[in-house]
Amino acid sequence: MLNESTAERLIAHALARGADFAEVYAERTKSRNLRLLDLEVQEATSGIERGAGIRLFFGTQVVYAYTNDLSEANLLEVTDTLARLKGGRGRVDARGAGGLDFRKTAPAGLHAPERTFEAHDKRWRIERLAEADAAARVGPEIRKVQIYLIERDQEVLVANSEGVWNTDRRVRTRYMVTAIAENERGLQTGFAGPGLSVGLELFDLEPPAEHGRAAGEQARTLLGAKPAPAGPMPVVIGNAFGGVIFHEALGHLLETTSVARKTSVLTDKLGEKIASDVVTYVDDGTLPHAWGSSEYDDEGAPTERTVLIEKGVLKSYMVDRWGSLMTGYRPTGSGRRQDYTYAPTSRMRNTFIEAGDASIESLFEGIEFGLYAKKMGGGQVKPGSGEYNFAVQEGYVIRNGRVEEPVKGAMLVGKGPESIQRIVAVAADRKNAPGMCGSLSGSIPVEVGQPHLLISEIVVGGEG
Amino acid sequence: MTLQEAQTYLLERARERGVELEALATGSRELTLRARGGDLEEITEAESAGIGVRVVTGGKTGYAYTEELTPEALDWVLAEAVENAELQADADGFLPQGAALGRHDLLGEGLSAPVDEKKRMALALEREVQKDPRVRQVGAATYAEREHQTELASTQGAAGGFRSGYAYQMVNAVMGEGASVKQGFELKVSREIAALDPASTAQDFLYKTGRLLGARPLASGRYTAYLEPKAFLALLAPFVSMWSAKQVIEGKSRLADKLGQRVASAVFTLYDDPDHPEGLANAPFDAEGTPTRRVYLLREGVVESFLHNSQTARKLGHEPTGHASRSYKGVLGVAPHNLIVAPGAGVRLEEGVLVTDLMGVHAGANPISGDFSLQALGLKVEGGEAAYPVENFTISGNVFELLERIVAVGQDLEWSVIFLVGASPMVEVADLAFAGA
Repeated sequence: MLNESTAERLIAHALARGADFAEVYAERTKSRNLRLLDLEVQEATSGIERGAGIRLFFGTQVVYAYTNDLSEANLLEVTDTLARLKGGRGRVDARGAGGLDFRKTAPAGLHAPERTFEAHDKRWRIERLAEADAAARVGPEIRKVQIYLIERDQEVLVANSEGVWNTDRRVRTRYMVTAIAENERGLQTGFAGPGLSVGLELFDLEPPAEHGRAAGEQARTLLGAKPAPAGPMPVVIGNAFGGVIFHEALGHLLETTSVARKTSVLTDKLGEKIASDVVTYVDDGTLPHAWGSSEYDDEGAPTERTVLIEKGVLKSYMVDRWGSLMTGYRPTGSGRRQDYTYAPTSRMRNTFIEAGDASIESLFEGIEFGLYAKKMGGGQVKPGSGEYNFAVQEGYVIRNGRVEEPVKGAMLVGKGPESIQRIVAVAADRKNAPGMCGSLSGSIPVEVGQPHLLISEIVVGGEG
Repeated sequence: MTLQEAQTYLLERARERGVELEALATGSRELTLRARGGDLEEITEAESAGIGVRVVTGGKTGYAYTEELTPEALDWVLAEAVENAELQADADGFLPQGAALGRHDLLGEGLSAPVDEKKRMALALEREVQKDPRVRQVGAATYAEREHQTELASTQGAAGGFRSGYAYQMVNAVMGEGASVKQGFELKVSREIAALDPASTAQDFLYKTGRLLGARPLASGRYTAYLEPKAFLALLAPFVSMWSAKQVIEGKSRLADKLGQRVASAVFTLYDDPDHPEGLANAPFDAEGTPTRRVYLLREGVVESFLHNSQTARKLGHEPTGHASRSYKGVLGVAPHNLIVAPGAGVRLEEGVLVTDLMGVHAGANPISGDFSLQALGLKVEGGEAAYPVENFTISGNVFELLERIVAVGQDLEWSVIFLVGASPMVEVADLAFAGA
């Protein structure tokens, strides 16, 4: 994408114009998307995204530019424009004149695909997705099945004025099944969407029939669901994508993106007890082939396993370069971005609550009336106040310790810092699930996860 | 290779191969200036471009795009698009007969100002917000602008382009009073930089977020909801796809059999205006080159039209409405331009809840069933006025019940660009379910 001498001249050019730090990020991504409705291809598209982002630091001030034109002449001109936009000192000095000795590292292939996208033709993909379509049709109520297939092959180069020269390749595959069920009471949908940092072996690792059936059964269940009860009550949250609640209500509050600006309610709380004893919360960018894993982050730093909260005590934030500069915290390999059109910020990778030792049954025992949020939908949070909300995709009423009728339309609402204090028991069945997380630096793949757990009280919004 | 050269190259290769091809190219410019702590914390400057094709071969449609404008990449695009087309089962795709569409400049000198003036606007916005002692932290105070040049060309004769863009000011900050903390933001968008004023944006932010401090829990129950314009548009946004003829054809719209029927209150009229004097998404023609026009989604509660592109129109035997949408990376869809809720006779506050803010719209609304359950913030309305702020509650129900229970619509339009581009007055809805403490 970029040769070494171009990167070197670019960085020297930036330093000579007064930048304290200069970084160039270049990316070429090939992607393919396929949408099937009742197994008929509705749209198929393929694309090449290619561009570079140049980021300069003047103290803690950041200037960023991106372009699709990777010629040296254009990149130098873009750097000049940036320095001009920054204005101020206009200092021209001799730093960078001696050239850079890049320490080159290449990925070890920890998440490399076993079966590349070229291993099978497009028809093969449709045949495998047909297994999901067939399995989703669990009854005559299932009227339609929509399936998306997403393939991404991203090649990345990060070079900076500290001599970093890292290349990385991220291959990701995901399919998403939506089953639409209808009866005299209306339409409901069920969803399943496995994804990993793998190639076409995804279809063996995550069997389409299994996920198709899950989507179909969920849609059918919801057809019979009553409006969710409303008000404060104990809630058992299911494992895997259930982890989205703490992704929203806790994870986002631990990113230096908000901590460094002191707009997170969890700012300046390292070493403090912020959650109940049963909560250990981890962000791990190294899990082999996980949806949110990569060998290096988008600032060229190696990813790592970061323990954020250990037995309720805050141990670390998620720290990118800018965040480290602002706070003095050690960088954690958490600088991520959607693509070259965004400057990186601190982001989550694969974030989950560790397994506890409670049995799943014991979580339900003793609940007179509550909600079992078996499958979660998406949500959102305001880090400044910790207010969050997220939708329950598949929920059930708990009565006298028993899981009873399904309910729809439930929304869990609260404040993160309160909810994490109210986790009273954590089971041992930790599992992760993929999702897309949107924030300042765009939409990126992440995993969320947790075991089944019990929260003593959450406000449930519903109609009933 | 320039974008136009790439367009010409693709059209020539397509003609040689005997496939129909439509090339949509976009060149974009971005400037973002983010102030924090009395200085500019982040400056982003960018130019980018890409080209995406839709090909039709034997009635089958396929897509591909590239940001790399080399003959190799463009050849790959054409080959992939044709291969993608061959996967399609449907063989009734076509490219509409094209025409010369002209060149249009919808932006003019709207964004013309020295960059130092734009920097001052970002810095002034932060300063103005910080004047209020209740402001604890400013997350960001931003001035930004976006400019797009859209170029359409097809083997069927479509050729034209237009330039569009806008500037915006945004502030995101945390306010506190005692133990009560609220994070809010204010966003003002205009095609004219001259219409943006840091002091008034700051005032609006302080008023809208400050009034929520000291919020109390709201007792669950059914209340009259007074939805402020931005909250109403946020609530409406996930359901606009019900008017998409593409959704209708795919069996995913509950409006499929409702054309000409009343589904909403008679005081409610909703239309799409591609040529609004203040429109932030005006367009002379759509992504296929069909000229745009005003289209009524609901007139006095009656479903008057779906939104169509040429494919959906032919399938349903309707006229195209100028609502084809496609970005160069995307596929042909259907989307509104500027969605407008027609102003009504006015809303008078009596008893209920003034809903000022909705969260979780992307997760808490089901565009197929119409069900929604959304976290809200607002003010309790008692004795004809907003009495005190309330929090930690949700509103829920089904969008069709909500549309039927609209009892009054306000007089003054306010624009939003968050979940859709459009404008609405305040909307009063009777008997909505609120879940709180």
